[in-house]
Amino acid sequence: MVQPISKQAIYVVFLRELKRYWRAKARVISSVAQSIFFLAIFGLGLGSFVGDIGDVNYLSYMAPGVIGMGLLFGSVFSGVSVIFDRQFGFMKEMMVAPVSRTSIILGKILGGAATATIQGIILLVVAAIMGAFTPSIALVTGAFAAIGAMLLITSGFVGLGVAIGSTLNDFHAFQLLSTFVMWPLFMLSGVFFPIDGAPLALQAAMLADPMFYGVELLRWCLLGSGTAILGPFGWLISLTVVIGFNALMIGLGTYLFSRAQI
Amino acid sequence: MDTIEVKELTKFFDKDVKAVDGISFSVQEGEILGFLGPNGAGKTTTLNMLSTLLRPNGGTATINGHDILTEPDAVRRSIGYVFQDPTLDIELTGRENLDFHGRLYGLDRNTRQQRIKEVLELVQLTDRADNFVKTYSGGMKRRLEIARGLLHYPKVLFLDEPTLGLDPQTRRSIWEHILRLNQEKKVTVILTTHYTEEADYLCKRILIIDFGKVVVLDTPNKLKERLQGDVVSLTFKDTAAIEKFRPLLEKKEWIHKINVVASGNNYAAMSRMMQTSPQMVNSMVDNEKTIQEETSPPKDTEQAVFEKNIQFSGEQCSKCLNLLLDNGGHRIPEIVKLAEEAKVILESVELRKPTLDDVFLSVTGRNIREEEGSFIDMVRRHRIMRQARGKPTRN
Ligand SMILES: Nc1ncnc2c1ncn2[C@@H]1O[C@H](COP(=O)(O)OP(=O)(O)OP(=O)(O)O)[C@@H](O)[C@H]1O
Ligand SMILES: [Mg+2]
Repeated sequence: MVQPISKQAIYVVFLRELKRYWRAKARVISSVAQSIFFLAIFGLGLGSFVGDIGDVNYLSYMAPGVIGMGLLFGSVFSGVSVIFDRQFGFMKEMMVAPVSRTSIILGKILGGAATATIQGIILLVVAAIMGAFTPSIALVTGAFAAIGAMLLITSGFVGLGVAIGSTLNDFHAFQLLSTFVMWPLFMLSGVFFPIDGAPLALQAAMLADPMFYGVELLRWCLLGSGTAILGPFGWLISLTVVIGFNALMIGLGTYLFSRAQI
Repeated sequence: MDTIEVKELTKFFDKDVKAVDGISFSVQEGEILGFLGPNGAGKTTTLNMLSTLLRPNGGTATINGHDILTEPDAVRRSIGYVFQDPTLDIELTGRENLDFHGRLYGLDRNTRQQRIKEVLELVQLTDRADNFVKTYSGGMKRRLEIARGLLHYPKVLFLDEPTLGLDPQTRRSIWEHILRLNQEKKVTVILTTHYTEEADYLCKRILIIDFGKVVVLDTPNKLKERLQGDVVSLTFKDTAAIEKFRPLLEKKEWIHKINVVASGNNYAAMSRMMQTSPQMVNSMVDNEKTIQEETSPPKDTEQAVFEKNIQFSGEQCSKCLNLLLDNGGHRIPEIVKLAEEAKVILESVELRKPTLDDVFLSVTGRNIREEEGSFIDMVRRHRIMRQARGKPTRN
């Protein structure tokens, strides 16, 4: 069935996501604080022990990864919140309106991407204040590029969240989701250690993690370099994978959502 | 062409159990039709199909001239739906919920503001409009949902148990709003309810539905006329008196029907049990379901069959008899005399007109209880509440 897209509908759903995000201050604060702990404790503590990685210090190495963590958790959670919309009935209100499911879910994805990106920007500023990045003109343009990358990364992961949320039907799966999806995606994304020195099997797993390319892309934007494994055009490879993943997940999320029972 | 035309609409969730079993009816423009039926009769499922939320397994319907299967968007533009279960975003304010709805239905800013003001006044929530919905009472939430259903001036309005849990005063005012809306804006309404007096007061016609089938469809008055006469309720000193007196009454040809008061479910006992051993109650509900599935409902609705099945609503009472007879008031002295002669002690005699409750009980064999709701209803709500709190349900 062809589903017409209504800009108005996308906009309202988007607006609702922003409003809800803005009001869930506890959630925002706790996830920002979590990232700060990671940066401060691991970045400074482990950093003094590990020393430099490549030609950057450990805090700088970790910062894009920790930003990526905020993006990942924020965006998947936004997508999965379709479960809550269903559980608390609000989904019916949207479904019975004369707008297509595609419009609803596009609004949801845009809203989720926007809120997760806001989160990412906050973390970017925090990391900068902690001295993770060398101030320069390149950093300013790099930061703008990073924000673009964040939008790409997060909309893909909101899509993944929606796909999962449309397939699973209850709260209980939530724990499973966190243990078996979120944490592996996060741990394998090369936040804490560089891929170069890892055992081969682990390297393969990391290369299969879409978030790995997201973090790589952020590193290129903010630090101006990336891992040796992907070579000098690592940023292009990462960008391509991120865009591909993004398209795939938005498509999958939209498809599964429009098929789901209310 | 009628505003709503339903043909052979069917839905099954499991292969064997048909939630809605080939129902057909039509609703004229500006009519208020009441759906009356016990829990699980298929009322909500029917509304969900008519509103395009659920795809039927068979049959179809047109709403405002649009087919639910082939023109779902046009159907959805024509309807407003106040759902049985809550569908508000409690993290938003009342006004924001309405604004969201208005935008979804494509109303421009001015129209939105003016209508939001209008519907808020209608349900008397103006002064609470900017509070978060999570701070509202249950009745306020319900009123907000009703207001929301009206915001886009739908041609057809579905109200699924609109006044459930509201206090009598609010219920009254909602009734008046529904009637006013119906008269002024010519909105066609389908309303489901467990309150027979609500159906009686609001509805031009009442459709009693059970096991997914239409049992009867008629005006409230015509339905009540099926129980011709008056109901006289006798309360005796003990059950032995009933056994003694009943044969004497059966000889009187002016008594159309004699019936022991049908028992409702013993709500208090059940709710106590619910707290102590929910597993047991749950398994009883499941048993009850299978029993319901085995005993099929009366197939034809001829007056003869109807009369055979007549039952009377009321308190559970093993010492009571209900009689259906003509000119009840004039017959009471005669009954009292008969009792004296037979040396049977009568504790009280009561005369009343048949109600829709009696009709309902007679055609479905089940009680619609006023305040408490049936036992199944209670367990179902209990399960829903547990779900909302995120605890697992035992099934
Ligand atoms: N999503 C579903 N999956 C499986 N069975 C369902 C589903 N929805 C409803 N049913 C079943 O379909 C039947 C009709 O349910 P429905 O909700 O239409 O009843 P109802 O008349 O609205 O009852 P109530 O007065 O309790 O609201 C019930 O037996 C119910 O268990
Ligand atoms: Mg229902």
